[in-house]
Amino acid sequence: MTENQEPTDILVIGAGASGAAAAWRLAQGGFRVVCLEQGRWHRPEDYPATKPDWQLRARDEWSFDPNVRQKPEDYPVNDSASDITPLMFNAVGGSTIHWTAHTPRFHPSDFRVRSLDGVAADWPLAYEDLEPYYDLNDESMGCSGIAGDPANPERKKRPMPPLPLGPDGTRMAQAFDRLGWHWWPSDSYINSTSYRGRAACNNCGPNGLGCARKAKGSTDVTYWPEAMELGVEVRTRCRVSEITTDESGSVTGAAYFDRDGNQQHQSARAVVVACNGVGTPRMLLHSTSDRHPSGLANSSGMVGKNLMFHPYAMVTGIFHEQMHTYRGALGNILMCQEFYETNPKRDFVRGYAYQMNRSTGPVATAMGFAMPGVIWGQQHHDEFAERFGKSVLLAVIAEDLPELHNEVALDKKLRDSHGIPAPLIRYKTSSNSRKMLDHGIRNARKVLEEAGAHTVAANPLLRPGGWHLMGTARMGEDPATSVVDEWGQAHDADNLFVVDGSVFVTAAAVNPTPTIQALALRTADYIRERRPDLKA
Amino acid sequence: MPTKDGKLTEADRKVLVAAMDRLIPAVDDLPGAGSMDLAPEAERIARRIPRFHLALIKALDALSLDMSAHAYGGFRALPGEEQDAALKGVEHALPSVFAQFLELVYIVYYSDERVHNRIGWRSGPLQPAGFELEPFDESILETTRKREPFWRRVPTSTNEHPQQTR
Repeated sequence: MTENQEPTDILVIGAGASGAAAAWRLAQGGFRVVCLEQGRWHRPEDYPATKPDWQLRARDEWSFDPNVRQKPEDYPVNDSASDITPLMFNAVGGSTIHWTAHTPRFHPSDFRVRSLDGVAADWPLAYEDLEPYYDLNDESMGCSGIAGDPANPERKKRPMPPLPLGPDGTRMAQAFDRLGWHWWPSDSYINSTSYRGRAACNNCGPNGLGCARKAKGSTDVTYWPEAMELGVEVRTRCRVSEITTDESGSVTGAAYFDRDGNQQHQSARAVVVACNGVGTPRMLLHSTSDRHPSGLANSSGMVGKNLMFHPYAMVTGIFHEQMHTYRGALGNILMCQEFYETNPKRDFVRGYAYQMNRSTGPVATAMGFAMPGVIWGQQHHDEFAERFGKSVLLAVIAEDLPELHNEVALDKKLRDSHGIPAPLIRYKTSSNSRKMLDHGIRNARKVLEEAGAHTVAANPLLRPGGWHLMGTARMGEDPATSVVDEWGQAHDADNLFVVDGSVFVTAAAVNPTPTIQALALRTADYIRERRPDLKA
Repeated sequence: MPTKDGKLTEADRKVLVAAMDRLIPAVDDLPGAGSMDLAPEAERIARRIPRFHLALIKALDALSLDMSAHAYGGFRALPGEEQDAALKGVEHALPSVFAQFLELVYIVYYSDERVHNRIGWRSGPLQPAGFELEPFDESILETTRKREPFWRRVPTSTNEHPQQTR
């Protein structure tokens, strides 16, 4: 192993949503920051939407699933013991290159589920603590949306107006209105107008495949250019094998394989881990030492435990009218939070939301994303014509609750291309989630039929739906039951910080990235204001 | 039957064409997927992507091994209904293989410009043209805007009781 790099103040591991936000904020504060990223830079002009064979690319090299992509920068994931397949993207920008950029916030109640509903645990911070960081992140990433949503607290004006609903969204909105149910246009990190030198969206459709116009706020086009202007060094195709510590248990840096496969070491005064809710526990569990025999920061035994996804049920409605439902952003139309909060009359605790989704072109229509594919044979063309441009999908996004048996562990056999143990996922959907999803399916059917759907089909649990990886290094006040404190600082090592979805105490029923990024910005401010010892 | 190194023989290619014609039959002025000469594209993709290659080889293998088909001169010589029955047999016996074989056929068919013209899809890359982005019409918010805030209030201290503004 070679120590041929200058020591740095802060070493950030992972260049995705949270690593980018933290690095940018720390560099603003004058810290020297190096970021190690196992993936590479992608050029937006090379994204699938610029290629005629984009539909094939979406199902192969641009799949959400690393086990399908099998790129050199991906690590394998053993999900054979999981109800849900974890999804991620390894690159500068991380999964924000792949995401739909749907960006709702947690509710104030999401931070107090133990106090309010007697389940899980309260967060060691409140909505109000995060609110300024949500606002800052909205500015940095570029938020389209509109004020006045009665389901959420008032908040600052979004930088851009909402994306249009389109004929399909309008139809669904009117149906929600007739049922007396809440809906609101989605907050999106997609430009509805040009913003900070990035173009407005042009409605091409599959925004889950990277955005060639840079209209979508992925961190490779938002935080990273500014962070690098401030002096942050992003070192790509560098895979960290372990975080290193000294005899006292303090973190000293990280060992990694560089792009040529050589082992290197980067020294740092502090390490910020931003590898997502699967990658982070994997790395901590693999970073053992005499002082941390069961893994770094794992004296509580909570590293890898309490894995949460958002279990999704997908309910598809098919309409007679041609609405060109392949036009427009995939999942950024509207959200319904009518059933978000606990209602004692229901047989489950906590709640769920609906996120409306569109379809994405002829191949996806034929394959049937959330319902069985179009039948082959003599009836094929009739069934395809019935669906194409006429299907609307309501995703039921259920709040998952933390359970110890749902976990990320190290696989004893499976390893990545550098010999590092792969993550093993053990996850079973809870009975509470199942009841919640079933309730959501029943109500989705009502609203789709109210909107005029002649056929409604439900997928009760989307297996390839593990976009949101949370809970595996959770924050809390008690070192016996949590891994990090409210600032993301490890209880066991005061110069180790975690800033990704691992730190979530509970999952809420919304897409997590704005909350992940707000937490990362808050951690960075903590380091800036209270840890001057970490700056040379 | 494919050779040991996984390459398709000419006989395999003819079976593939026949199978594709049954999976996606002729419509309007378009012949079936096989007769549209899409089998070479399926083979090209399969050579590049291992999971499709495996599915293609196994599916063709299974169709070739169908003894009833052999008795009458192979899959290609069967009447259409019996070809469908043979395909259904593979679908039943090897569901995962068949699903990926079908995915491959759907990909090549629905990536073809002639099919796009028929179904009214603009062929080629999605960018840079995209589609028009109309401004958001706020009038549709009228109903929801009338509703009182109903998000659940949270106590700011432990002495307060939570309330839901519903």
